[in-house]
Amino acid sequence: MTRWLLRLYPARWRDRYGDEFAAVLGERTLGPFDVLDILLGAIDAQLHLRGVGARSDHRKGFPMSLRLGGAAAMAGGALWLVAMTWILLFDSNVGSGAWVLLLLASVALLVGLAGLSAFQARQHPVLIWAAFSLPAIGALLTILGAAMNGSGNEYWWGLFILGVVATIVGSGLFALATWRSAALPRSGAAVLGIASLISFATFVAQSGSGDSNGVVALFVVGLGAFSVGWIVVGVQAIGLDRQVAAAGTV
Amino acid sequence: MPAPTSPGFGRFAEPALLILVSLSEGPKHGYAIMTDVESGTGRPMGPGTLYAALVRLEGSGLIEALPPVDRRRPYRLTGVGATHLQHQLTALSSFADLGLQRLRETAP
Repeated sequence: MTRWLLRLYPARWRDRYGDEFAAVLGERTLGPFDVLDILLGAIDAQLHLRGVGARSDHRKGFPMSLRLGGAAAMAGGALWLVAMTWILLFDSNVGSGAWVLLLLASVALLVGLAGLSAFQARQHPVLIWAAFSLPAIGALLTILGAAMNGSGNEYWWGLFILGVVATIVGSGLFALATWRSAALPRSGAAVLGIASLISFATFVAQSGSGDSNGVVALFVVGLGAFSVGWIVVGVQAIGLDRQVAAAGTV
Repeated sequence: MPAPTSPGFGRFAEPALLILVSLSEGPKHGYAIMTDVESGTGRPMGPGTLYAALVRLEGSGLIEALPPVDRRRPYRLTGVGATHLQHQLTALSSFADLGLQRLRETAP
């Protein structure tokens, strides 16, 4: 684990700090907070050594996570809708392009979550990172389930569904935390929260009613609401980033 | 009065200040800094954040690395670092005094 995490850092960084960093990691049991912190540290090290992080200040460091998170949330929301509609209505065949699209959507949502959480965590770190964890786990399970599709492993569907549910419910919790922190516009958080609720309700209705076309269509509407929620949050994050850039402050 | 920050440290300004305060007691290696900061503030400092701040502090000449003991490398404040920390804490103290004074003035 430690070796894998170290490999995320640039070689030049590892040459200078690798040994002592590994010693620090060896001193404690790494929890999810540590792993996430190390991932963000590795991204920073990559940028820092390329001269981006070195110039980062309050005008650039946080808006960068805001910009990246906003763009990824928009892309993730849009890709999620296209992929899910494709799978549910048109083509659920193993190995189809829809599953690749869903993998990309989940990765984009994960990046969006990380970026927007990093931006908000300045003010409410515990709340935000706690709210981050469930949808992040959901996105990872979705990725794992989708990646196992076609491998012959019978658990892939269970993992996939669990991931989708955790992503939807977790997005609702993330929306609540975003509303609470107020670091991003609350209207977007409200849209995402309501959209997640609608999506979850339609998922439950679909699960309990079989696969009639009407219920599946309702589920697609719910997923559409979920996607729109993330797109709205992403658009607002990008808008906030532009305001910050114009004002020169965060 | 603006809150004091280390120029160019961005989101690592606060962790950097906490590290400087920790090192004001004497040289420490990474893990000792983390535990010291955690016991002083009640909030954990992740290893990624610690080293992102250490890299910037060392690059700014505010701290310097000592020869490693086993794989642990201690760091210590430089003279410039001590002066910088003194200025930062003084400014923070003045800022806190101002806030408390205003609270007293507006208290019902």
